[in-house]
Amino acid sequence: MTNVAVAGSRTAWRGRLGTEPVAARPSLDARRVLQLVLAAIWLLDGVLQYQAFMFTKGFNQMLAGTAGGNPAVIARPISWDATLIDHHMVLLNAIFATIQLLLGLGIAFRPTLRVALAASVLWSLGVWWLGEGLGGVLNGGASPLNGAPGAVIIYALLAVLLWPADRGVPAPFTAARAAGGHVARALWAVLWLSLAYFALTPDNRAPQGVNGMIAGMESGEPAWLQDLQKGAASLVAGQGLAASIVLAVALVLIAAGVYLPPRIARATLVLAIVVAAVIWVFAQALGGILATGATDVNSGPLLALLALAYWPPRAGLAAPVATPAVSEELAPSEGEA
Amino acid sequence: MTPAWILDIFAAIMLVVAAVSAVRLLAARPWQRGAVVTDTDISHLLMGIAMAGMLASGLTTLPNGAWVAVFAVLAAWFGYRVLRDYQASGARSLAVGHCAPHLVHSAAMVYMFAAITTPSAGGGSGMGGMGGTSGMSTLHVPTLAFVFTLILVGYTIWDLDQLSSLRRGLVAAVAGPAGAFGSQVVSEPGGTGHDSTSARSGATAILDAPGIVVGCRIAMGVTMALMLVLML
Repeated sequence: MTNVAVAGSRTAWRGRLGTEPVAARPSLDARRVLQLVLAAIWLLDGVLQYQAFMFTKGFNQMLAGTAGGNPAVIARPISWDATLIDHHMVLLNAIFATIQLLLGLGIAFRPTLRVALAASVLWSLGVWWLGEGLGGVLNGGASPLNGAPGAVIIYALLAVLLWPADRGVPAPFTAARAAGGHVARALWAVLWLSLAYFALTPDNRAPQGVNGMIAGMESGEPAWLQDLQKGAASLVAGQGLAASIVLAVALVLIAAGVYLPPRIARATLVLAIVVAAVIWVFAQALGGILATGATDVNSGPLLALLALAYWPPRAGLAAPVATPAVSEELAPSEGEA
Repeated sequence: MTPAWILDIFAAIMLVVAAVSAVRLLAARPWQRGAVVTDTDISHLLMGIAMAGMLASGLTTLPNGAWVAVFAVLAAWFGYRVLRDYQASGARSLAVGHCAPHLVHSAAMVYMFAAITTPSAGGGSGMGGMGGTSGMSTLHVPTLAFVFTLILVGYTIWDLDQLSSLRRGLVAAVAGPAGAFGSQVVSEPGGTGHDSTSARSGATAILDAPGIVVGCRIAMGVTMALMLVLML
């Protein structure tokens, strides 16, 4: 903070950084950094939910459309939810946006971290079902390129893996601190193997499958992004099978990576981040945010964030075990439940 | 169209921020010798008014060109401060310093007022139709709006994390001016050692708490990100 000192006709400017209460600030560890990134994504989602499109019939139709092809037990609640939103469009969407905004702010504010993370899991599961139709997992519409298995379920996964608790033993990576190494690795493998499976479904491996998905995202994007997508689409035109196989092989390698020695695991995690970035830019058009009408950032950034949660620390530097003295999340003075 | 009442709520929040900043400025008694006035309060006051004017269709402030000039000056000032901080503390100053987020806020305001395209061109202030019924305002170079949004969201989250540790300071300030942060107002450059907070009321002490300033900045960051996204 800077001060302007006004003394009669004199005006002096100076800073007072030295008086800031920096000594009271707890340190950041890798998990806290990842939590903050998750918070930022939630906050961005909340802001996106306030867009004009979300207050129109278009948003409602988008939700209702996710019911198609799903089993009746899944589809019926989606249709009911879409009807309810149709009747109370403005109020409910304002509530949805505010909830997501508060989830982001709650995760960033240490005293409310646990409550916000727990609420984010419940909210994510609800949106995954009622808002995304389980990400197209059951209706054959899922593809790693379009955000399978539903971007919002990755929020829930991240909230669980970044939960502020420790198991009392050194963890091989951040994601294992709360869930344990075996569970965390299993969750990782299930996610990436499922993506590999979805990459090879008939629709996605069709000659124009990948091309069509990329081309379908061009509308409304800025020229520079359209150019990138046009280039990518032409590259895979008619090559759906080959592109799907290459993608599936990469995804299987990534899935297996966390079971391999740290050096190889890091290489596969870098591959995961690169794949996530390529998917986000070329296939998801940065989540469609620049074309307006996007409800979230899509799965690309979340997959990259997830990969960072599995990054093995350097030799001899296992992910720390928290003690009340060093863990900002567990500190009783922060007033957490 | 985003409902006008939602935009009005955010406009009201911005006016509260502006009011808090105005009270803080007045409490500093700038007409007295040696008064200490924070540039962040000046920045918050101006931004609060400008953003409220953009959000609420019925609120008329200055023409867009005037706001561009105002925030260009603020951006230049905070740019200078960031440069000085950088020379003193290196890149760390971008994360822990107070000037970098204000530089981003000021630059985002310049961009918003300079790049806005109002459907019903009137040469008035703000977004014109944003909260009204005449159509949606948009921004030139939407990619830049997206970049600003990401940075604003990032700083907001960072501020909130840091605010967690300032919470005790706020409690101390509420408890009384003798609290840890209640006496943080800097004495005048001449070094007389006069601590003006000792005579202040509890309410003023609360306004002096760092949490209030950071809270204002968080509200401003969220609202600014919202406005940028709405005008993509």
